Amino acid sequence: MFITDECGSSSTGFIACGKTLIFVIPRRVAHRGISLVLRLDQREIPHFVRNDKIEYFFRSLFSLWVLVLARTNPHRLKSKIPTRSGPAPLNKKSQRDLMRRYGRAMLLAFSFAALPIPAQQQGNPKAAPSPAPKRDLSGVWHYEGTGGSEPIAPDNLIPPMTPWAQAKYDEEKPGYGRKRAPGGNDPILQCDPMGFPRVMFMYTLFEFVQVPGRVVQFFERDHEYRSIWTDGRSLPKDADPTWYGYAIGHWEGDDTFVVESAGFNDKTWLGSTGYPHSEDMRVTERYRRVDRNTILYDITVTDPKAYAQPIVGPRRIMKLRTKDELLEEICVPSEEKSFADRVAEPATPKPTK
Amino acid sequence: MPGRPHPLLTYLLASFVAALTFSTIARAQAAPQQAASKSASSPAPKRDLSGVWQYQGTGGADSMTPDKDMPPMTPWAKARFDSEKPGYGPRGAPGGNDPILQCDPIGFPRIMFMPTPNELVQLHDRVLQFWEREHEWRPIWTDGRQLPTDADPTWFGYAIGHWEGDDTFVVQSAGFNDKTWLGPTGFPHSEEMRVTERYHRIDHDTIVYDMTVTDPMAYTKPIVAPQRIMKLKPHEEIEEQPCVWSLENEFAKRIREPAAHNPAK
Repeated sequence: MFITDECGSSSTGFIACGKTLIFVIPRRVAHRGISLVLRLDQREIPHFVRNDKIEYFFRSLFSLWVLVLARTNPHRLKSKIPTRSGPAPLNKKSQRDLMRRYGRAMLLAFSFAALPIPAQQQGNPKAAPSPAPKRDLSGVWHYEGTGGSEPIAPDNLIPPMTPWAQAKYDEEKPGYGRKRAPGGNDPILQCDPMGFPRVMFMYTLFEFVQVPGRVVQFFERDHEYRSIWTDGRSLPKDADPTWYGYAIGHWEGDDTFVVESAGFNDKTWLGSTGYPHSEDMRVTERYRRVDRNTILYDITVTDPKAYAQPIVGPRRIMKLRTKDELLEEICVPSEEKSFADRVAEPATPKPTK
Repeated sequence: MPGRPHPLLTYLLASFVAALTFSTIARAQAAPQQAASKSASSPAPKRDLSGVWQYQGTGGADSMTPDKDMPPMTPWAKARFDSEKPGYGPRGAPGGNDPILQCDPIGFPRIMFMPTPNELVQLHDRVLQFWEREHEWRPIWTDGRQLPTDADPTWFGYAIGHWEGDDTFVVQSAGFNDKTWLGPTGFPHSEEMRVTERYHRIDHDTIVYDMTVTDPMAYTKPIVAPQRIMKLKPHEEIEEQPCVWSLENEFAKRIREPAAHNPAK
């Protein structure tokens, strides 16, 4: 949960501007995920149906503007919610309908947001978890994190940049963090690939599938995947630079899968707060399965062209989701553009001078 | 992407070649049987499609079926068809509105007829299908589940598969949105579209591929694609070839749009 008085881009590319209270409920807390943005000072009430997401501003109790991003079946909702596009005020009945529909989720969201969960607790549910299977990461996993899109590391843990990286960084206009500003140039706002490792810090699911010779890692976000080769090959010396890189993996003991990757292009950011990297970037990850339901995740980015020292991500916890399957969540340029034209850009405050 | 031609360039060039050979489509249709009978490959492994496969089409972006073999459209589909401005085929024109020109997902089944390889990986509960084109993938569930009756409409649909005998994998899919075209020459479909595919592995190196699209909201009869051949590519791996909007946009501004506004006379 966070408050922004300028602009923030959500992990779905949504830009919120103005006095906005944003929090995101982990998708499995509310049924299939609901994100809420409370908007304090906007007068517009746009609403529309976009793909399988209902995005809705409405005037709640306490005169707050609320945006509901709900993943649900559009056919079921179309009967309840007007679907014409463009700004339209809500009548009392519609407000009541929405409050009835989403009220419980909002309450849940409030209580959830009010209770910061220490990372250690997340990793240790009361019931003693069963031991981890050996050399096996198969399954759907969820990095819960703060519940939003995170940077690889907090700003204060990013090592000094080289002049090359500093120049790139100065051109970046992220939607989050200390440099956040309206009219950002985050590449994902136009559906350019999010790339690796940024995709690791989203609150969407990922899945490991193990087959002879490789582990395939699927990311629900952007409907992406990468192959992590386990057939003993080395990283190629001159791989074509790509968005998700070239990855090899091996086991250390029976519980730790170590992944090394390189061959990245330099078009992606390390996270939602910006921070560039070069084509020389190398990433080392350790997936340590401490019990059946839990992976401890460490990531180190080494990129001497851009940073004076390696970037060491804070240790993260990933949880097994036994009943979930990855959905098809593609970033679709025409939809992002239509969203930007109708809502995000009109909502951005105009410069006062 | 250094070392590789730009995806859209590949697409345009390949489709141009496809357009040139369009008149000989009848011969191309006869090719599969020839290819199948000629091959003296080792026998196929049982109930196994694992590997990287290359669809042996015209070498360009093919249509699902030649325009002349398309069944009559319903008024709903005809209205959509009339608003489509494809870059290829008899209706080819500059300034088209093919969704893939702005990197919207190409979707299924159109992706099956691209000149890029696809890979099948078998797990105990599903077969994964990876397409190099757009770096896309779909699971084909083989754990006995049914197609959901109210799946959220998606670009690549919801697919289940089962084996008929030891050599034929039958895939049924539904749950598509109606935003994709069936091929580069246009032709819409509705959310009611259902697709049946048969992957018949006749020998170690060869799949004979059949596809039928049933969509009563859009077509008065099922669309039956001509039989196609896919060949195993044992030494290939799928590469990362996403459609990148900023690059497409740059390409459009520099080349495609100026060319469309100044057509050669």
